[in-house]
Amino acid sequence: MLVVENLDKTFHTGAGDVHAVQNVSFDAKDGELVAILGASGSGKSTLLSLLGLLDAPDRGSIEIDGTQLANLDSAGRTKYRSRQVGFVFQQFNLIPNLNARENVKLALEFAHWPKDDRDHRANELLGIVGLDAGKADRRPAKLSGGEQQRVAIARAFAAQPQLILADEPTGSLDKATGQKIVELLREVATTQKATVLVVTHDEKIAKKADRRFEIEDGVLKEIA
Amino acid sequence: MRAVGVVVILAVAIALSISMLIARDAVTNKINSVRASTGNTITVSPKGFFGFNGGGTPLKESDVTDLLSIPNVTAVQESLSEELTSTKTSLSSPTPAGSLGGQFGFGAGTGSGGEFGGSSSGTTFSIPIRVIGTNSPGNAVVGGANGGGSEKLTSGAAYSPTSTADVAIVGSSLASKNKLTVGSTFTAWNTKITVVGIFSAGSTFTDASVLMPLATVQKLADATGDVTSATVTVNSLNNVASADKAVAKKLGSAADVTSTQATTEASLAPLNSVKTISTYTLVGSVIGAAIILLLSMLMIVRERRREVGVLKALGAPNKSIISQFIAESTTFTILGAVVGLVVGVLISSPITSALVSASGGTSSNSGFVRRAGGGGFGAGGSGFTPPAGGFANRGTGNFHFGGFSNTITQIHTSAGWSTLGFALIAAIVIAALGSTVAAATIVRIRPAEVLRSE
Repeated sequence: MLVVENLDKTFHTGAGDVHAVQNVSFDAKDGELVAILGASGSGKSTLLSLLGLLDAPDRGSIEIDGTQLANLDSAGRTKYRSRQVGFVFQQFNLIPNLNARENVKLALEFAHWPKDDRDHRANELLGIVGLDAGKADRRPAKLSGGEQQRVAIARAFAAQPQLILADEPTGSLDKATGQKIVELLREVATTQKATVLVVTHDEKIAKKADRRFEIEDGVLKEIA
Repeated sequence: MRAVGVVVILAVAIALSISMLIARDAVTNKINSVRASTGNTITVSPKGFFGFNGGGTPLKESDVTDLLSIPNVTAVQESLSEELTSTKTSLSSPTPAGSLGGQFGFGAGTGSGGEFGGSSSGTTFSIPIRVIGTNSPGNAVVGGANGGGSEKLTSGAAYSPTSTADVAIVGSSLASKNKLTVGSTFTAWNTKITVVGIFSAGSTFTDASVLMPLATVQKLADATGDVTSATVTVNSLNNVASADKAVAKKLGSAADVTSTQATTEASLAPLNSVKTISTYTLVGSVIGAAIILLLSMLMIVRERRREVGVLKALGAPNKSIISQFIAESTTFTILGAVVGLVVGVLISSPITSALVSASGGTSSNSGFVRRAGGGGFGAGGSGFTPPAGGFANRGTGNFHFGGFSNTITQIHTSAGWSTLGFALIAAIVIAALGSTVAAATIVRIRPAEVLRSE
C-alpha cells in the first residue's frame, strides 16, 4: 500500500523557481496499475523521482506498508531502491556489456538476493516476461526494443519490490508492442502483488490502468 | 579501441619512467663506483711544478709537515724528485731516448725546473734517471696513498721510513740494464749507494726509477728541507673538500693543491647532470601517466554517466560502482605497466647512452692519451701508465699521469627487483590517482538528474 501526502518539490533555477510537484497526495493498493498522464514538463518524471527516492522532497511524506520513507538517510534510500522499488525506463537503460540474464541478476545482487538462487530467479522472470530462453544470453544490442523492455521489466520485478515506477515504458516502442508491454506490466503487477505507477502521455495506454491521474504544473488530480 | 589507446599512452609514460629509473640507477652506480675508486688524498706540489716539467720553487718540508695540524688530516707523505744525469751517476737508463725523448729533453730553465734539463745534445741525448726521495717506500712502491697500485717489490726489502742511509730500491728495468741485484752498489752524486730492493710496476718508465730515503736525497742533492711533492691523507672522503681548502689556505700561493675528489667530481659532472635529468623525467613521467589515466577515467565516467545513474537507481551503493571503475583503471594501469616495463627495459640502454653523450661525457674522457713510444717529460719508450682510478699525481713517488681506467661512459644498465618494485608502486600510485577523480565524480552523480534528461 502506497500513501503519498502533501508532496512538494521546487527547483530553483536562474529563471526563477519551478514548482515541479505541488501538494501531491494519493494512494495506491498492492497489485494496482496506476497511470499518471501529463504533458512534457508537467512534473510527472519529478514525481517518479521522489517516489523512487532518487530525489528528496521539500515537504510531504511517502509511506509504503506503514514505513515512512521521506526521512531515510543516503544508505537507507539506497537500500529502499534496491529492495522496495523497481524502475522501468523509456530507454530501457540495460547495462550494455551484460547479457539479459546478467542484467536481471544485477538487480538481485544489489538486493542481496541469495547467490545460489539468482540464476533460477532471473530465468523465472525472463520466462514470465516472455523472453525466449535462447535470448537470455544475448546482450541488449542483440535484442529488439520490445525484448529489451521485457528484460527491463524482469529486472524491475526481480527483487519482488512493492512499487514499480515506469517512466514512459512504451515511449520507444511501436503501438502493438507498447500495448503488450502494458498488459505485461498489469499481469506481473497482479502476480507479484506490486503497485505499478506508469507515467505516460498516451491516453490508450492510460485507459488500461485501474486508476488514472493527470498532472499539470505539478498538481495531481485523479480522473475518471 | 579507447581502452587500447589509454593502455598504449600509459605504457609509453611508464616505459619512459622505467628507462629513466634504470638510467638513473646505472649512472648512480657509476658515480658511486668512480667515487669509491677515488683516494681520499690531496696532492701538493710547488706552484707551476708538473712532474719533472715546469718551474717553481720547492716547498719546505717544515711547511708540509705542518699540514698534519689540519683537522681530519691523518698523514702527510713528502717526496723530493730529482734527476740523475749521466754526469752524476754510474747508472744508465734502460729507456732508449727515441725521437720523442730527444724532443722533450729540453735545456735547463730556472728554479726547480732547471734541475730537469737532461743531457741534451741533439741525437746524443740520454734519458736521466729519476730519483724519488721518500720516507714511505712501502707506499711509494705498492701504491697506497699515492694512488698507484701496480708496483711490487720483486726482491729485497724496503728501507726504514726513518732511514738516512745511502740505500735505494731500484726499478726492475733499471736494475736489469745495470746488472744490479740486492746488495749491489752504484754511484750517485759521487756517493756509493747500496741496492736494498728491486721493484716492478710493469711500466718501462716507472721501472727505470730509483727510490731513496728522503733525507738521503735531500743531503746528496744539496736540497736540505726541500720537497717537491706531498700527499696528504684525509680520514674520510667526506672531509676531503674541507681539508683541500685548509691545505690551500695554509700553503697560500706557494703550492698547487689538488684533491683526487675534486678532479673526480669535475669529471663526474656530466653524469650528475644525467642523474638530475633522469630524476626529473622519472617524476614527470609518473605524474604524466597519472594525469593521463585520471583524465581518461574522468572521460570514461562522464561518458557512462547514464549507466552510473541507472546503477544508482537500481540500488547500487557508491562503493560498488566505484570498485568497478577502480578495477577498470587498475586493469589499464597493470597492462600499461607490463608493456611499459618491457619497453622501458629494452630502451633504457640506448636512452642512457644518448643522455650521457648529450651531457658531454664522451668516451675520451680519460685524463691523458696514451701514446706508444712517446713518453712524456723527457722519457722515451711507452707513455704514462694510467693507474686504476688514478689522477695526475704530480711529482709523487709514482710518476703516474693517467685518466680513468674505467671511462665514465662505460655504463652498464640493468633492471633488478627494485625496478620491478618501482613499476608496481608506480602502477599503484597511478591507478590510485586515476581512480580518485573518477570516484569523486561517481559520488557526485545524482541519478534523478541523469534520468530526467532522458
